Amino acid sequence: MFHDKPLHCEGNFPRFSMKNFPLLRFQAFVLAAALLAIIPLRADNPPKKIALSDFPAAAVDDVVVPVPSEIFAVLDKLGNPNWKGQLRDGKVQTPEDRARTALLLGNVIAEGFVAVEAEDAERVKDIGRQVLTLANAINVRKAVITRCKSITDKADARDWKGVRSEFDGALQDVRAAMDELNDHDLSQLVSLGGWLRGTEVLTSIVQNGFSKDGAELLHQPELVNYFDRCIGSMSSRLRKNPLVSHIRDVLRKIGPIVGESGDSITAENVKMIHDLTREVNEQVIGGGN
Amino acid sequence: MKLSTASSFMFSRIAFQHCCLLGVAVICLGSPSLLRATVDDSVSFAYEAALPYYKQGFSIRKDAWGGDLGVREKKAVSIQLFKGNTYWFLMATEVKGGSLSVHLYDDKGNLVEDESWQKGRFAGARVNPKSTGTYFAIVQILKSPEERTTWALVYGYK
Repeated sequence: MFHDKPLHCEGNFPRFSMKNFPLLRFQAFVLAAALLAIIPLRADNPPKKIALSDFPAAAVDDVVVPVPSEIFAVLDKLGNPNWKGQLRDGKVQTPEDRARTALLLGNVIAEGFVAVEAEDAERVKDIGRQVLTLANAINVRKAVITRCKSITDKADARDWKGVRSEFDGALQDVRAAMDELNDHDLSQLVSLGGWLRGTEVLTSIVQNGFSKDGAELLHQPELVNYFDRCIGSMSSRLRKNPLVSHIRDVLRKIGPIVGESGDSITAENVKMIHDLTREVNEQVIGGGN
Repeated sequence: MKLSTASSFMFSRIAFQHCCLLGVAVICLGSPSLLRATVDDSVSFAYEAALPYYKQGFSIRKDAWGGDLGVREKKAVSIQLFKGNTYWFLMATEVKGGSLSVHLYDDKGNLVEDESWQKGRFAGARVNPKSTGTYFAIVQILKSPEERTTWALVYGYK
């Protein structure tokens, strides 16, 4: 009211109150509730908490298997590991058993990541050649020829980030080529072989200078369960392969340890995992069992 | 569904040759090969989204994950993350006019991302995990002109 007298349409109206209109109040409540329900659908406003049980198995994709350098990057931040001391000596022989070849291929690619950390160009190039030989043994040589050449070129240029990326690419290309050949089981074994070697190196470094932060890197419960499930879903021929069967036993020993919360993994636990993975990796390289 | 660049190239080429031989694109509609080809396009967009982070020193994984989802449909991708690393997750779709989101949760279902963004067909989320363990990337199509929208997710770490 900007004037002295009220206009004819102003004043003397009862004050508007929802209390006077119970039906309207109910409708307003319903409208507000509906709006609240609609707003999250229209905006990307993520809930602070979700029920993971709302995601049935079909809505959960396979576990993403990390490459060793993801863990090695953390170890570098925690200290100054002796990467050269972690490198394995000698060349590997190509096995006749395809399952062992797949495990060894993953193992050797993981070794490539160690050689990158050690910044050992000759070793990196040597591993690149081993990758090619092993890939040839399981008919996926074509998939990695370009990668292996790049590994050599980038090692010569001491482009370590580039070499790391090529090893990651080699791992994916090999696995993809195997999937194309319907060798899904062997493809999983490549990942598993890489994880086993990566874990052996991780535990070796953590043992040498034990810290809670280092040991926590072993807290990988879903990953270990995932590998166990992978073996469980393989063909019975592969499941009965003595080495694969032995690895499954090892995973089942490691599972409860890495399933504990990260800060409760002790130095003894780390040593136990190291011994288990080292022993199984020796079998992957040298055969036997 | 995990993807790879090598297989996708072969797959795209085979799909292309078949289409030329048959001369009827209609036959290809809805076929897995066509879906694969479009997911591969989404992977390319996801790597495009990752490029700025690569330039910032992040190592971008060669492994990619993707598939197709309906509008408002969600999928969880479980991932092992390590305390001490910083991660960027980048998601994209090749569908013009589509928009999507990616958000990161821990194994108790708590939102853990430190930052996220959404821009049209691209989305990203960053996390510095407080502890090492299993995490979940929840991917979702927010809107799309298509009934099913292909998507791809990549990640980088440093």
